[in-house]
Amino acid sequence: MSIQFKSITELNKLLDSKAISASELTQESIQLAKKYSELNCFVTLNEENSSKRASDIDRNKKNTSLLSGIPLAQKDLFCTEGLKTTCSSKILSNFKPPYTATVVKKLEDAGSITIGKTNMDEFAMGSSNETSFFGSVHNPWKKGFVPGGSSGGSAAAVAAGIVPAATGTDTGGSIRQPAAHCGITGLKPTYGRISRWGMIAFASSLDQAGPLARSAEDCAILLNSMSGYDSKDTTSLNADVPNFLEDINQSIKGKKIGIIKEFNLSDLDTEVQKRFDESKKAFENLGAEFIEVSLPNISASVPTYYSIAPAECSSNLSRYDGVRFGHRAENTDDLNDLYIKSRSEGFGDEVKRRILIGTYALSAGYYDAYYKKAQQVRRLIKNDFDQVFKSIDLLMTPTSPNTAFKFESKGTQNPVELYLEDLFTISSNLAGLPAISIPHGQVNSLPVGLQLIGNFLREDQLLNAAHVFQQNSDFHNAKPNLENF
Amino acid sequence: MDQETVRTICYLARLKIDQNKSEKIQKDLETIIELIGSLQSIDTSDVEPLYSPLEMTAFKHEDLEKSDNKKNKFLENAAESNEDYFLVPRVVE
Repeated sequence: MSIQFKSITELNKLLDSKAISASELTQESIQLAKKYSELNCFVTLNEENSSKRASDIDRNKKNTSLLSGIPLAQKDLFCTEGLKTTCSSKILSNFKPPYTATVVKKLEDAGSITIGKTNMDEFAMGSSNETSFFGSVHNPWKKGFVPGGSSGGSAAAVAAGIVPAATGTDTGGSIRQPAAHCGITGLKPTYGRISRWGMIAFASSLDQAGPLARSAEDCAILLNSMSGYDSKDTTSLNADVPNFLEDINQSIKGKKIGIIKEFNLSDLDTEVQKRFDESKKAFENLGAEFIEVSLPNISASVPTYYSIAPAECSSNLSRYDGVRFGHRAENTDDLNDLYIKSRSEGFGDEVKRRILIGTYALSAGYYDAYYKKAQQVRRLIKNDFDQVFKSIDLLMTPTSPNTAFKFESKGTQNPVELYLEDLFTISSNLAGLPAISIPHGQVNSLPVGLQLIGNFLREDQLLNAAHVFQQNSDFHNAKPNLENF
Repeated sequence: MDQETVRTICYLARLKIDQNKSEKIQKDLETIIELIGSLQSIDTSDVEPLYSPLEMTAFKHEDLEKSDNKKNKFLENAAESNEDYFLVPRVVE
């Protein structure tokens, strides 16, 4: 029996009825990962350990969680004890963490099996997965096209049906944009909802872990296990975690959805715009009401982000010095030379570019003009959201202005060209709000994503609206033709 | 931004840029700084910076003694170490 493309709920039923064992499921998942190795989704497969874990679960099936015996893939920036965690960077290419990230531990405590670590943009810096030291990931829908990034390996592994779900992280759209480009569902939760402990930092005030899966329902299953307060993360929220499956079926009749006036959707590709209008109509048919709202400062999101994120990145990445872990250069003259050579050999071009921008923005004489200024504009952006959420439940935008693009076709001459791809996703990271991307059709045989943004801690509303949409449409069930891989 | 500034930032960040990539990096940085510079037109007088979306005070840990010493595991990841320390090139003659 093929388990490819099956949902977590379907797999759970098969496991419960003993139609399949966790060992068989895990083995098939690993086989699929190998069969589609050309997609380049995985940096490391956890073959031996996952087989052992699956046998243990088969022998001792006490865990009644929906995730028990379910194979999952983890983005390669979640620390996994004894299992290589590279961040898709040369500098960490041999790093075996001495501990496991809270997120991975929670998912494994619920009985899931980590089959491998997924490829990503180096240190999560990128929107196309092209900055990985281990090479680009192919979009399962079209060979030679990007899967989006930075969680590109996770998104491609789910889209190709290798695993039913995977973890990702989202600093400026890194879960939602690859989910959109690969035709799957991806959720960035509220900042603080999920522990960042053991999640290798890029920009600490923006980074948030979240699930990628084929449906909103499967994302809810993962979110139930991933969420919760963690005393080891000082920015973890001590807030109640609801059962995200409980109200997922509720009618969305009367829900007020805002359309952001400042995003001029008529500038978009006509087909992308058409899909958006069709989905708006679909939500109206489900009883939602649309209201045009104004977020006067939202257009400043991209420059605000590209000041704050590199500043935090330059600070976070100063720990890679070749001394305690990571790549160390050979033949160095002294300690300073060791730092410079190890870092210069270990980091790729995009990471270097962002470290340099951050260093500049934080340096004496420029701090107020760039870094502080951006944090002030960030407050204006958050205030705008606070204001509109007084009168609406959700906001709706496209996830990305375009579909997936060809390898090396964007950002090579001018990096800002690629940064503008994040236009619709970045603002929710700046404000710490939850947002989801769901597939809603295709343009030129490539998937397009629809984004819903929710108020603080209202992932339940996002999952509810997305699930009801998916119960009344078939876009999330579309499967890529993988013959070319 | 001139080459001298690029060299200073590179030194502060402990990075060395290949000579053949130096001009491209300079151009990229100029483009990005221009993008960030567009924020100057926004009036932010009397606006407090928002450094984190949560704006809460970090929780304090209870000061508990624990015995999970992972010294060896941490030392294993270093390129060079002895039984107790990370090793680096000599810093004191």
